[in-house]
Amino acid sequence: MTRPGRSTEIRKKNGHFEARFVAMGSPCEVLLESDSESNAAAVAGSVSTEAWRIEDKFSRYLPDNIVHRINNSGGAPVEVDDETANLIDFAATLYEMSDGRFDITSGVLREAWNFDGSDNVPADSEVDRILERVGWSKVKWNRPELILTAGMQIDLGGIAKEYAVDKAASEAAAETDDACLVNFGGDLVATKAPTRSKGWQVGIDALDQAQGLPQKLIRLQNGGLATSGDARRFLLKDGIRYSHILDPTTGWPVRNAPRSITVAADTCTQAGMLATLAMLEGQGAETFLADQDCKYWCYR
Amino acid sequence: MSRKKSKSVAATLTTATCALLGTTSTTPVNAQEEDEWELDTALLYYNEDGNRVQDISFKMLANRNFIDDRVLSLSLGVDSLTGATPIGAIPFAGPQTFTSPSGNQVRTAPPGEIPLDPSFLDTRVALTANWQQPLGRLSSFNAGLSASSEYDYLHLGANFKLSRDFNKRNTTVSLGLAFAADELDPVGGAPTPLTPMLDVDDLSNRMGNQNKDVMDVVLGVSQIINQNLIMQFNYSFSSSDGYLNDPYKIVSLVDPVTGDPVPRIPTPGVDGPSHEYRFESRPGERTKHSLFGQAKYYMNGKVLDASYRYMTDDWDIDSHTVDVRFRWPIGDRSYLEPHFRYYTQTHANFYRTSLDSSLPLPPHASADYRLGEFDAITLGLKYGWKTESGNEWSARLEAYSADGSVPANLLIGSNQGGLEMYPDLDAIIAQFSYSFGW
Repeated sequence: MTRPGRSTEIRKKNGHFEARFVAMGSPCEVLLESDSESNAAAVAGSVSTEAWRIEDKFSRYLPDNIVHRINNSGGAPVEVDDETANLIDFAATLYEMSDGRFDITSGVLREAWNFDGSDNVPADSEVDRILERVGWSKVKWNRPELILTAGMQIDLGGIAKEYAVDKAASEAAAETDDACLVNFGGDLVATKAPTRSKGWQVGIDALDQAQGLPQKLIRLQNGGLATSGDARRFLLKDGIRYSHILDPTTGWPVRNAPRSITVAADTCTQAGMLATLAMLEGQGAETFLADQDCKYWCYR
Repeated sequence: MSRKKSKSVAATLTTATCALLGTTSTTPVNAQEEDEWELDTALLYYNEDGNRVQDISFKMLANRNFIDDRVLSLSLGVDSLTGATPIGAIPFAGPQTFTSPSGNQVRTAPPGEIPLDPSFLDTRVALTANWQQPLGRLSSFNAGLSASSEYDYLHLGANFKLSRDFNKRNTTVSLGLAFAADELDPVGGAPTPLTPMLDVDDLSNRMGNQNKDVMDVVLGVSQIINQNLIMQFNYSFSSSDGYLNDPYKIVSLVDPVTGDPVPRIPTPGVDGPSHEYRFESRPGERTKHSLFGQAKYYMNGKVLDASYRYMTDDWDIDSHTVDVRFRWPIGDRSYLEPHFRYYTQTHANFYRTSLDSSLPLPPHASADYRLGEFDAITLGLKYGWKTESGNEWSARLEAYSADGSVPANLLIGSNQGGLEMYPDLDAIIAQFSYSFGW
């Protein structure tokens, strides 16, 4: 099924091909170091197809997918396919690793929190009421069967984009030997280094977008890079800035979370999860990242 | 999460990610932060033996990296030169008096010594700006401007370079062009070539400002032979025309029998030269060709860098330069690098240590030791170390020794054979460098 707005633009730029499309609510691009436009079109095709497939399957906004079936199961068991089960297993591992702070059932907290830059901070009572419907420990997961208490929801949005980047990049690598960079809204993977330079140049956006210039330039030869944090999504009340990173164990935003964390790791998924887990550490984000022995850029 | 637990996160995550993506292993990530600005700074001290030239110079190179591999390079150099330099006159058993370049006073050189001009004092400021960017996938383009200024010299230049990769990027071919328009404004005015050095305050043989234009073309090929060996070959062509003299250099007029400088009597009541000297005269054009070959050999962190250059020009100067450096790592962060350089050149066809006063003057003559026949050896040692943050310090100490000889057929008369006609040169060079980025 083709949804509206699903088209890919390809153009030649500075000696490589650049394909652009929109998936998962983000601008996506594929850069390919190639002389052949048909090769570029084939790679762009397999990358965008994979991105849209994952979006269709796991978006919580769409009415006809596995996430929708789970969220509307009314407490009945749902049997899931292998790929969904793999994602749920992964989420369960993260829940355990993070002492419950990475939780795919925490999406309902958005009913109380709307990070629009306003001072609209919810009341304790409202948050507590919603928290009753949050908690992976309340879910019965017995692969491949999932039983979600009525009123609870899962949201794989915190994993799906990074997962899609890795999956799409491996599709690209299967399609071509040329160096390729897959970038979905700032989460990206380089399959290998371009031959013409030391690596793909990636800019980490300045927090103040008005500055225009990237804050840091990173040379990525291969591997993944992902960023957590969004300078524009916050609430401000009584001089306290509430970041959009919610701690599902309290229902409140993580205190003293950095504004933005970018991590480099072997895969985009690892990079993204490390960035998210570090955000959840709040004040301890840098200490956590330093312990992981990974390259990171943390801005407060 | 506890500190202890947090340390195990990365490993657990790797296992979980492999299970999720259905992979068994991944290529380790390779990402480096690129500094927006990279700065190289160097402080150099150069000192010639025998109170000759001393130079203290500071150099700074700033590279600004932009997206899409575009780089802006800016450099600044400041030199402060002091000391004395040989003026070309031969040594003589008696004192010799010269009019200073400004023409308003005289200076006397002691007997038996190679006469030096002690008024050498200069500050030079040089600036360059360069822009480099890729042109498509295989080519890159480089363009720059340069300017330097000292009290009697102004240089303006422009350069361009195109390079293109071939053969799966194992071969790079480049073509460079450079143009310079220089203006000389010597103290007291540029002397008319071959005219006599005159009495104090007589500037009748001085001309105004003079110009010199230089064009350089460099054709280069660099070739990756294998993982360990890179070779580079260049052919360069350089053409200069205009005023190519050193306005402060003179040649002694000598007696054909004794070889001693011909005495001269200044106008009564006025100071002036004690002997007959002629301002030097070089051809108004010079064409150079040079071939350069370099091999860089990498072996387990050690790097051998050896190069050879052959230069020939239409002044009949041929030169050979051999340069060898060997980088020897000490631990992970530092290295030692010995340096050896050997240089030899033949003299220009108009090189004369003195001129026979009984013969008509030749069209061109210069006693500048830099146009003579000489060999030079440089021996040096550099020590470099990297700080934890990746900044690099280095210290370099080098000794330079040039040893010249004047061919017997250029000696005139009976007395020159026993004199030291060529000003040999020994110098030391010390340099501290610091490179950093942010």
